[in-house]
Amino acid sequence: MTDNSLDVRAVNFAGVASRLRRLDASMLLWLALIAVLVFLILNPVLRLIVSSLQETDTGHFTLANYRSAYGSLRHLESLAHSLELGVGVAILATCFGVPIAWAISRTDMPCKAFVRLMVFAAFVTPPYLGAIGWILLAGPNSGWLNKVWMALTGASHGIFNIYSMTGLILVVAVTSFPYTFVFTSSALDLVSSEMEDAANILGARTLRTTLRITLPLVTPAIIGGIIISFLEAIALFGAPALIALPARFNVVSTQLWQFFEYPVRVEEAAAYAMPLLAITVLMFWVQRRILGRRGYTSVTGKGSERRMIALGPWRWAMLAYALMVCALSVFLPMLVLIQAAFAKAWGRGFSLDNLTLHNFYYLLFEQTQAKQTIINTFLYAAITAFAAISLTLAIAYVVNRKLVPFSNVLAFLCMAPFVVPGIVLAIGFYAAYASPPLALYGTATILILGFTTRFLPIAYTSSAAGLRSINPEMEEAVRVLGGSRLLAIRKVLIPLLKKSLAGAWILVFIPATRELSSAIFLVGPNTRVISVMLYDLSEEGNFEVLAALGVILLVVTVVIAAIGSKVIGRDFMLRRNS
Amino acid sequence: MFPIQRRDFIIGGSALLALGPNRNAWAQAAPAMTPHEKELYEAAKKEGGELTWYTAQSDDITAQALGRSFEKVYPGIKVNVLRTTAQVAYQRVTQEIKASAIQCDVLSTTDIGHCVALKANGSLEKYVPENSSKVLDIYKNYDPDGTYFVTSAGMIGIGYNTSKVKEADAPKNWTDLLDPKWKDNIALGHPGFSGYVGTWTLTLRNQYGWDFFEKLAKNNPRVGRSINDTVTMLNAGESEIAGSGPVGTLMESVQKGNPLAMIYPTDGTVLIIAPSGIMKGCKHPNAARLYMEFLMSAGASQIWVDHFNETIRPEVSAPKGVKSAKDLKTIRPTVDQIVKGIPEVIKQWRDTFGV
Amino acid sequence: MSRLKLTGVSKRYGDFLAVDGIDLELQSGEFVSLLGPSGCGKTTTLRMIAGFVDPTLGAIEMDGQILSSPSGSVPPDRRQMSMIFQSYAIWPNMTVEQNVAFGLELRKIARAEVKRRVGEMLEVVHMNHLADRYPAELSGGQQQRVALARAIVIRPSVLLLDEPLSNLDATLREEMRFEIRRLHDEFHVTTVYVTHDQAEAMVTSDRIAVMNHGRIEQVDVPRALYDRPKTRFVAGFIGRTNFIEGSSDGHQIAFDGFALPQSSFERDVAAGSKAVFSVRPHSMRLSETPPAERNGAVGVVVVERAFLGEHWDYVVRPRDGAQTLRVTTSPMQDFPIGATAWLEFEPRQMALIA
Repeated sequence: MTDNSLDVRAVNFAGVASRLRRLDASMLLWLALIAVLVFLILNPVLRLIVSSLQETDTGHFTLANYRSAYGSLRHLESLAHSLELGVGVAILATCFGVPIAWAISRTDMPCKAFVRLMVFAAFVTPPYLGAIGWILLAGPNSGWLNKVWMALTGASHGIFNIYSMTGLILVVAVTSFPYTFVFTSSALDLVSSEMEDAANILGARTLRTTLRITLPLVTPAIIGGIIISFLEAIALFGAPALIALPARFNVVSTQLWQFFEYPVRVEEAAAYAMPLLAITVLMFWVQRRILGRRGYTSVTGKGSERRMIALGPWRWAMLAYALMVCALSVFLPMLVLIQAAFAKAWGRGFSLDNLTLHNFYYLLFEQTQAKQTIINTFLYAAITAFAAISLTLAIAYVVNRKLVPFSNVLAFLCMAPFVVPGIVLAIGFYAAYASPPLALYGTATILILGFTTRFLPIAYTSSAAGLRSINPEMEEAVRVLGGSRLLAIRKVLIPLLKKSLAGAWILVFIPATRELSSAIFLVGPNTRVISVMLYDLSEEGNFEVLAALGVILLVVTVVIAAIGSKVIGRDFMLRRNS
Repeated sequence: MFPIQRRDFIIGGSALLALGPNRNAWAQAAPAMTPHEKELYEAAKKEGGELTWYTAQSDDITAQALGRSFEKVYPGIKVNVLRTTAQVAYQRVTQEIKASAIQCDVLSTTDIGHCVALKANGSLEKYVPENSSKVLDIYKNYDPDGTYFVTSAGMIGIGYNTSKVKEADAPKNWTDLLDPKWKDNIALGHPGFSGYVGTWTLTLRNQYGWDFFEKLAKNNPRVGRSINDTVTMLNAGESEIAGSGPVGTLMESVQKGNPLAMIYPTDGTVLIIAPSGIMKGCKHPNAARLYMEFLMSAGASQIWVDHFNETIRPEVSAPKGVKSAKDLKTIRPTVDQIVKGIPEVIKQWRDTFGV
Repeated sequence: MSRLKLTGVSKRYGDFLAVDGIDLELQSGEFVSLLGPSGCGKTTTLRMIAGFVDPTLGAIEMDGQILSSPSGSVPPDRRQMSMIFQSYAIWPNMTVEQNVAFGLELRKIARAEVKRRVGEMLEVVHMNHLADRYPAELSGGQQQRVALARAIVIRPSVLLLDEPLSNLDATLREEMRFEIRRLHDEFHVTTVYVTHDQAEAMVTSDRIAVMNHGRIEQVDVPRALYDRPKTRFVAGFIGRTNFIEGSSDGHQIAFDGFALPQSSFERDVAAGSKAVFSVRPHSMRLSETPPAERNGAVGVVVVERAFLGEHWDYVVRPRDGAQTLRVTTSPMQDFPIGATAWLEFEPRQMALIA
């Protein structure tokens, strides 16, 4: 006969000792998590702000940094250029991403799987690699497109000049539009067709329904996409360095790089970086104001079936548009990059005698750094992904289950790095941790920490979303039967979350492999990653080897992502493989 | 200087063959390792058998070739070759000094001002290589205190794309670059990145005044970063003229089959003296010393010459048909001018060219 | 001319026949329900009427005009119909007023007129004090009203409702049933209402079409469906019932444990053949004392019982039989389990099924 009587200790819950015990455990947890987040986020940002007000070498309070950072017309112009770039990219990326998202999510456009694959390819391509591809395509005198034009029309000049603001906007937009695409199509997937049917039957046809009902329903996602592409654009370093400099204009990120030339002026850099921070915060505030009280999710659970709208002959028009975007972002740049990777001299064109494997051979066997760099890149990205996911899962759990008071502070801190452009975060990390006492300069640690912080928001959003989908009653069932919370987490929660976590891992891993803006400030000679090496190679114009390295990066990333998505049964957008 | 074994000869020979035709074979048997070198070699192996070398003195391929050669001559010591432009290398080194985390062992820069400044704040270690007395006279005695030595030299002239520009029409002198017929077609490096370009800019300022650059800006040149960018622009067909054309990179490109040619301007070809030094407090001091010896050796000069750079040793001569500094009229600024002048021209450049 | 007419409408999805030969006619202003279990094809039929789905066979006409046929159909936006969806499909990014105004604005009606009609409609559904609210700020019932207002304000020729009450709780459901019927009566809208809840159908409809496996088993007024079900399915689906099988020998019909004279039934069952009857639980009487007329009664034993407040639910078994029967009685009649009683039949309320 089993003993069903209660444990006396459990019943003595009124005692002071047991109260203290409960308080302790949750407090400790909260303190531990806060400490980690402070280390990762608050400290670098605060150091940055403090540095901006400090005099170099003496540490005295001064506004001189701001004066010199903003006193120069050139510096102000760079800021204006950044804003112009951001707005241009946001608009163009939205024009690319939203219609394609709509077409894939809600209509019967053909070849959807192919288009999705191409969007993924664009997502995997780093902006600076796309920039190189476009330089090969649209250099004013030498670009392939211009050569074709000149051959066709007999003109003496090409018509495309990639070395311009327009060129830069295009180059960045074609690698940013996957963000707008993913945001919009994920939201569109959740819109019940009944919303459209309701408009339909009241007399609205497809276009009007789409413009007045469907797209407005996903306004938060579209705005989110706009903001993300804007913020990414103004914080980018690689593509502007490659295109803006020859075009003879600067943006904030390239200007910041100059502050790191000798002599290193961290304080001025910090002062100069403040507006980026301010703009980002402003963006989010604007977003909240716009969205306001309106709800956007469908209010009832039922009826969320989604049917494809039949477009008739228009589906070919949509496909043509989608393919055009894919051509700009994937086909054309990839084509010329691959040509260059296998060429002895890319300028000599697509001839058989120009083919060689030497570039790859050189990278893999002769260049001492390349192999280590390649390994570094994927190793650091993997560690970053693990670290970010573990940390944010723990925090998301604590927040979601409300285990500690003020758990929202934790969530806020996790999302805060979103507000800090990568390049600024790197400078902050540099200011905070590169010198003694921690002396993390040039170590893999500072790089991984920087990356982890940078990708905390993505990781947290994914972890939180995954957790939200798990009914707490699953764990409660374990606890009622006598298991501890940790047991419930280990045996019930983690297995249920496996797929969602794997998807989140990939979402952090891929951007981490291609990250340049923050890496460029944090790498040391032994911790170089592919993105920085590509940047260095671009300095000496060795496009053939550069293209080969870029191809290696893309191929390995795609392979890993493909394996990952097969394993978890979903594609990179976490949709079920159909 | 180092023992040439049959194996080394074959490997070395085939390496040279792989780099292309028209190589001076290692005809002379090089002397065996000196006792001093042997001592350094043993100590270097005990240190960990590694060396980190920041260099801006050549392109990546040449730098890698030097690193590989060292590894063959002194097996067991791995060379981490980090090739960047001079300003970037300097920036990294100063960051390391500031963070008290020196990663670089040997710094090879193209801006002698860097070495002067590093010496001034005590960041370079004193070491006089045995080979320092064996280099050509023009490359001796730049630092009487022995903290830095010239390990490389190069020249800058005017390059052009032969498929686009006829020899008769090509510029003959620096001042020809100001001709409006070259508008939109000149490629330049950037003194803010490249030590070579910095020196070039300074030299031409000395020669013609800053006015020269104001006028040059009117021709809307394509400004890159490294001096090697100009050769890329020529190859790509993006520009017809390399206003600051590095002789080494350009001739190497010609040898690969690209349609380029070099002009040695009548007022003088700019000669770049590029020094190297050992970082004080570096992790592998003995390997660093050995590397300094190596850089000033005949073997290293041979590699320089194979990649169309200048030789600093009298025993090694340039390939047939390639002009060397001693054959040409050269112009260059003094060390003092470089130390003061390069930061000045960087600022002037930014104001004139906008970036 | 009938308002809406379905002739031989079928829908096939690959191998699966969702709707199988539906014939239905609605007069103008009529309220007809399509009632049946999940998967019976009622929603598909409704969507064919709406024009979201094309029939594989058959035709749908309105006022004599063909709307849907296998060769082509008028798209939903041109049918002048309205639909209430299971999820209400109220657009959450628009206020109540904007939601209701949408259809009117599409018809290019002047803004002042739109505002007036919207205001009127919101009054009718008692929602005008919430005109500026967003759907997230409304309760389920209120959203339902908005959906109704939006649908009716455009004066549709046919109003279609797809299980609109299934998301509401019981009390609200009862309230909204009457509401829907009231609105129907006020505006005389021809209505097709899909539901699986027979109480809803009974309360709201003029006629009910009971569907099963894609076919209509019976179309009738609610009373007739209840009292005179034509098939076993209909009998079992509408209200609760007992199915008893008996065989006739010409004079009486012998059931399991008891017999009833042939003469008490309206229709004769041929001698030697079997018949199945549907007997509603409340159409029998349970009494302590044997009734005067022995012929229509049988002695039973109480097997189970449940008190439901408004009535007792008994399960009884004839003393000489095996099949149990469900009987309801008034709350006052209290028979303990195991007690014996007399069960009296009312043959006129016994419906012959097969």
